[in-house]
Amino acid sequence: MSYAQKVYATRTAQVKFSSSTTAEDIDAVNNQVQSKFIGKTGQLMFSLLMKGFAFENAMMQEHFNGKEYMESDKFPKAEFKGAINGMATIDLEKEGAYPVMVSGDLTIKGITKPVKAAGLILVEKHKVSAESSFKIKLQEYGITGKDIGTVIANNIEIKVNAKYD
Amino acid sequence: MKKKLIIAVLLVGVLSFVGVYYFVFYRPTHHVRDIASEEAIVVSAKDIVKEFQTNESASNTKYLNKVAEISGEVIEAKKDQTGKPTVTLKSDDSFSNVFVTLRGDKQLEVKGGATITIRGVVTGFLSDVVINDGIVVKQ
Repeated sequence: MSYAQKVYATRTAQVKFSSSTTAEDIDAVNNQVQSKFIGKTGQLMFSLLMKGFAFENAMMQEHFNGKEYMESDKFPKAEFKGAINGMATIDLEKEGAYPVMVSGDLTIKGITKPVKAAGLILVEKHKVSAESSFKIKLQEYGITGKDIGTVIANNIEIKVNAKYD
Repeated sequence: MKKKLIIAVLLVGVLSFVGVYYFVFYRPTHHVRDIASEEAIVVSAKDIVKEFQTNESASNTKYLNKVAEISGEVIEAKKDQTGKPTVTLKSDDSFSNVFVTLRGDKQLEVKGGATITIRGVVTGFLSDVVINDGIVVKQ
């Protein structure tokens, strides 16, 4: 099987998010993110469980999963489905760092919106990894807790890092 | 009399300050769930996967954020990309297993095929049932 047709997968990709305001910086990390992508077509997916986000502050984690914000009992997952554009120009057998654009649909709290992000594909010692960061607007996903806009930023930065098996 | 009152007021003030400080600032960042002694739902790896496959939403209600004590056959033990140990337990469906991230930083020494029991917090169901904050209770 050539590398191009291979399905790259991991169950331990990392998604971090951070909110930065003058009042407070909030960070959370999830190290149990599932991701797959198809070498030939560039089709790409990520899925994660909201309860897998760990905060430094347990109270924040509780608020995050609670009724006012993510309602994680009702919406336990978030998901991205899309594609790496221009995959045909990338040789996954050749070491290098390839800047790419990723576009697709991001579903959070049951609401799906198109997103576009710049990313980087790294090929190192026959291992493929991918990273990207982008911002989302909480309001677009129906997240409207009372501290948003003051303690919590309106726009949250999301950082993705996946080292494929 | 007046002196006693002032002391009492001061004491109450100091105590409430300490209490508020403890519950608002200290405990949320220092309290770690006691996975070993929390009440756990005892289940086999095969059964918990079957339950989530059959009725995900009922299983979410039953398991999410709770401690489960899960026994099963080891498929593989690895480390994740941040260096945390992980172990995968087998179900009857080879596309869907129990995936556990363990506490600590040492890869679990266990052979594929061995039966172990872990405890951990259930975070939900992707293609696997996902467990976080895991500890090994029997190996």
